[in-house]
Amino acid sequence: MSEKLLVSLEVNGEVVEQETEPRTLLSTFIRDSLGLTGTHVGCEHGICGACTVLLNGVTVRSCLTFAVQANGGKLKTVEGLLRRDGSLHPLQRKFAEHHALQCGFCTPGMLMTCEEICRNKPAATREEIRDGISGNLCRCTGYQTIVNAVADYLENPHD
Amino acid sequence: MRPAPFEYVQPRSIAELRSVMESDDGSAKVLAGGQSLVPMMNFRMASPTRLIDINAITELDYIKADGNTIRIGALARHNHILESTLVRERCGLLAQAYGHVAHHTVRNRGTLAGNSCHADPASEMPAVLLTLDAIFHVDGANPRPVAASDFFLGMYTTAVGSNEYLREIEIPMLTAGRRGHFDEISMRQGDFAICGVAAVVTVRNGMCSDARIAYCGIAEHQFRLTEAERWLEGRNASAATALACADLAASSVQPGGDVKASSEYRRHLVRVMTARVLESVFNENGLERT
Amino acid sequence: MTDTGARRWVGKSILRKEDPKLLAGKAKFVDDIQLPRMCHAATVSSIYAHAKILAVRCDAAKALPGVIAVVTGAEAAELSGPLPSRANPTVTQHCLAIDKVRYVGEPVVAVVAETRAIAEDAAALVEVDYEELPVVADMDAALEARGDAVLHPERGDTNVYTVVHRKWGEVDAAFANSAHIVKRMFRWPRVSAQPIETVGAVVEYEPATQHFFFYSNMSQQMMASGGLAAALKVRPSQLSFVPMYVGGSFGGKVGVYHVAILAAVLARICCRPVKFMEDRLEHLLNGNQHGSDRRYLAELAIDANGIFTGLRCDVVDDYGAYFHLALGAHGNAAAQITGPYRMTAVDYKVTAVATNKTQQGPYRGFGGEVANFVLERLVDAAARQLKADPFELRKRNFLRPDAFPYTTPTGNLYDSGDYEGVLDEAMRMAKIDDWKARKAKQRGNSKRLGIGVATVCERSVMNVTEFWFFEDKPLNPVSSSPESVSIRIDVQGVPIVTIYAPCWGNSPETLAAQLTAEHLCVDPSTIVVNYAGTDGGMLSKGPAGSRFTVMLAGAIEGACQALLAKVKAVAAHRWGCKEEDVAIDERGAFMTAGDGHVMTFAQIAEASYLYRLDFPKGDRFTTGLAASYTYDHPCATLPDPKTGDLGIFYPIVGHACHLVLAEVDTELATVRIVDYVAVHDVGQVVNPMTMDGQIRGGIAQGIGTVLLEKYEFDESGQALTGSLADYLIPTACEVPDIRVSHFTTPSPLTSLGIKGGGEGGRLASCPAITSAIDDALEDEGIFITELPVTPSRLFDLLRAPASDRATQESPAAPERPTAVEHH
Repeated sequence: MSEKLLVSLEVNGEVVEQETEPRTLLSTFIRDSLGLTGTHVGCEHGICGACTVLLNGVTVRSCLTFAVQANGGKLKTVEGLLRRDGSLHPLQRKFAEHHALQCGFCTPGMLMTCEEICRNKPAATREEIRDGISGNLCRCTGYQTIVNAVADYLENPHD
Repeated sequence: MRPAPFEYVQPRSIAELRSVMESDDGSAKVLAGGQSLVPMMNFRMASPTRLIDINAITELDYIKADGNTIRIGALARHNHILESTLVRERCGLLAQAYGHVAHHTVRNRGTLAGNSCHADPASEMPAVLLTLDAIFHVDGANPRPVAASDFFLGMYTTAVGSNEYLREIEIPMLTAGRRGHFDEISMRQGDFAICGVAAVVTVRNGMCSDARIAYCGIAEHQFRLTEAERWLEGRNASAATALACADLAASSVQPGGDVKASSEYRRHLVRVMTARVLESVFNENGLERT
Repeated sequence: MTDTGARRWVGKSILRKEDPKLLAGKAKFVDDIQLPRMCHAATVSSIYAHAKILAVRCDAAKALPGVIAVVTGAEAAELSGPLPSRANPTVTQHCLAIDKVRYVGEPVVAVVAETRAIAEDAAALVEVDYEELPVVADMDAALEARGDAVLHPERGDTNVYTVVHRKWGEVDAAFANSAHIVKRMFRWPRVSAQPIETVGAVVEYEPATQHFFFYSNMSQQMMASGGLAAALKVRPSQLSFVPMYVGGSFGGKVGVYHVAILAAVLARICCRPVKFMEDRLEHLLNGNQHGSDRRYLAELAIDANGIFTGLRCDVVDDYGAYFHLALGAHGNAAAQITGPYRMTAVDYKVTAVATNKTQQGPYRGFGGEVANFVLERLVDAAARQLKADPFELRKRNFLRPDAFPYTTPTGNLYDSGDYEGVLDEAMRMAKIDDWKARKAKQRGNSKRLGIGVATVCERSVMNVTEFWFFEDKPLNPVSSSPESVSIRIDVQGVPIVTIYAPCWGNSPETLAAQLTAEHLCVDPSTIVVNYAGTDGGMLSKGPAGSRFTVMLAGAIEGACQALLAKVKAVAAHRWGCKEEDVAIDERGAFMTAGDGHVMTFAQIAEASYLYRLDFPKGDRFTTGLAASYTYDHPCATLPDPKTGDLGIFYPIVGHACHLVLAEVDTELATVRIVDYVAVHDVGQVVNPMTMDGQIRGGIAQGIGTVLLEKYEFDESGQALTGSLADYLIPTACEVPDIRVSHFTTPSPLTSLGIKGGGEGGRLASCPAITSAIDDALEDEGIFITELPVTPSRLFDLLRAPASDRATQESPAAPERPTAVEHH
């Protein structure tokens, strides 16, 4: 039962291969096996959203996905938002400009969710943004500045 | 909170899945979206020794029209269903109800079939499927269609037995004059319902017929309130009717109480929400309020 | 600079230094730490709320492949003593329970394995034999319990930890002579900080040097070294703490040591680094940091002119199974128990009881938010009873601007304030007449509007006497609460600031840079800020009690003064002039009279670092440009046990006014916040953007406390809120846009007149939101005395007979011990 399986996937544009047990959560795999600790774990029961990543282009809670299920897929984590030269993605810059983070623990998951919102709903209203991030818990900001950042980014995506 | 070890099987076709199920000792669990199962496994409230991951069975991922029905495969994701033009045009209630279901990220992976099989008593879609006269096509040991009213049996309990899985949900398209609405009260956006009401009614010439009224969040499982449905037959589709039907519903149910809501409050919500949902159904048909 | 009062950098909303690495996911939180040969711990937790541990069988667990150690309470006790506790007499708690368990979730056995998953597998194989004891599920059961139901029988046959009853001013006379008395019973719910990151620790023990290295998000490592070392039966010099980024604390990671101590014990046993991260279930049930859990019988005495003359509080506080912070949260409340009002008499009685739940710890407000809630509710009730306007009644009773510095009845000081100014600004921002018109329009509708108001003081810059000044014979009367900083200007003239406290999300790097920039006249973007742990050697109490910015500012001012004195000495020597003729601006050092001499910091640094023999002998010209400064609390005094004066312990006092427009759907019994205005006076604001963030975050937590959150237990002590699906913290849909504004009465006591404001959002929001709900339902005579106001509970209130709604006095409050009982 603890037979390891080979997981092969593209992570932030690079192909990676790692063996792991079937029961290894994708969140654990990302953090421990791949060493990408930007994705955080807050609850391990799918409520807080801190572990949100993009799998095959859509957001998933990595704590509710087994690593073996990502085999053959494309994974994007917060590290993958950075530009090639290491500079911040415009959405990340908007987060900084609007003070959309304080402790930063929920932020990677929040960014992945917001990236998807912006892709799917480029004309999202403030209410739609709020609804869109309602599955990501933040205990620091009160959310208003996150909504501000996303709204600003939607209006000025090339800043 | 890490899950216990399990054997992992990933069949790539329905035929393979049937074969795996046949040889299983009955303790395996099917993994589709995982949005309900994996939290339980992380808490070790569920520790299946074998997990059958059906996500590679692409032939189960469909939302298609078949005559007057919509057939939704086991792997159809919530978001695909709610965004489907077919669903929006031919069974709008499904898409409308989805606004109350969890959050976008959960709906990216979660499946309607998985949600139905998990059968959390406060889950919204089972109530909706009850009102739509959905047929649940169970496959495996004993392939058979199961009517919605025979599918949801108790808390986390459905008609799907061991060595079986839910292959497809078949939903009759809503015909002309037949409309539905869903509404709920929950503690926060996206939470499970404290009280959710789904209603589908045919309204012709201002008269109600063939009503289906179902509830979630108030009992051990989702259920149709047949007394209220029968009462509505032949009544005119008005605000007064909605209120009267709601009163009847409120006096007919036996809602449970818990830390989130008392039994009395749930009963009160049955009255308020039934009236509101019925009014919405009637108004969608463009009828006056009397 | 500060001389002219004009500010260069302080008061500006500069972007944060913390953000680039946090946004990139590169900041190191505890769980990100990976050390060679690191292994993982999990615990076996009690399934009973109260039970004797009869036997523990670990063989099956130990035999599981991948398991390194399985440790019982008795085994852990060979290497550790009781956890630090301020209780007097002490209440003994161990990192693993030894003879009995006192709450569901209390750890009994620890397992260490190659992975966390294997550790949990092994934990499931541990067998514990329990003999159940009677469960003390709530405070009333606690007051009555005897015999087997007593949690700590070595302290006596009672579950009362302590009773304290103090009076200040002529309180009996105030009540005897009052024209009106407002009396209510209030119930404040057990909630907690619930940060998205739980508590964790990675500890490495080096046998060769007998030294522990801690990587943990628990706070106040410096000050805790003594207590932690004692708990580990080692010397403080054997401990090194490395500061981590912390995923939120809000107090909940202050004084919470059980995780680090257990990890340290396990590291010592295994001779490998051990990582122990609380999972969310452990954090909920075994976090040792639930907030206040109180029942008040509270009364306000009012004279014939509507002036508040006296306050009586009789509080029972359910502290749970241990008592590590003693009555600190009541001491805290005593800092501003009379709020912004002029009354001079207070009668305060607190009975602290033990129940079978995890114990209390700090949560944003640390008891002050509860006291504010009770007082503001009494004021609202008074307005109704007197048929007075709630705004006018408050103004009538406010301390006037000329009252400051003001000594409260308890002995604390309020440094400055203008409460009427803040309220006026809030009313102006809200356009209160518009709100009133909207409310009138919806009167009688099923959806009603209500206007809520709360005017509260927000005491800041915590001292530590509050933890012990209620004791008759204090066991450990500590009074140090320092903050240190080290600043150097490197050989290229770059200022480098080292802080000794962790980042909780409270922007310490940004604030440190702004404050340093202010004194050194440099651009904050050129300043490097880093962190040092205990090996840096400087003392730091760290963030808590809204103190960090003020304390950091004082330390930075001290360090900069020393640095600049050196800079001026070097320049003056170079130019052959007097040091008084050298000043600092953006160019560096310049000669104030004639000649136009200027030296950049880089030039001064180079001279000081490299050319020692160009300068005279003596300390004045020691090589290098560096200064460390330890700043002590700017204004604190000891309590006077003879008079009962608590001393000055929280004198930097801001003020906040929150106005809330709420809509109540009387059909659904649901509440929606329509508009929200918050005006905060926190003295000189260093960074308005980050200050607003603290305010909004605190308000979001207040929304949670008022509408959503509560730890629920059944009568056998089982948790009914065992996950984030049951313990409901607000999502983006529950927190509206909030309008925030600043009002400023600088503090005369602090560097740059800064006051602390980290807790203000929560200190004011709870009464304000509650007040709005009541106001929407004034025609129903609803008066809320218990939180949270969930839809189901609001429904109950709306259905209650009219006679029961307004007073909500106790149905038979149980007997309480009247004498001070100490054991």
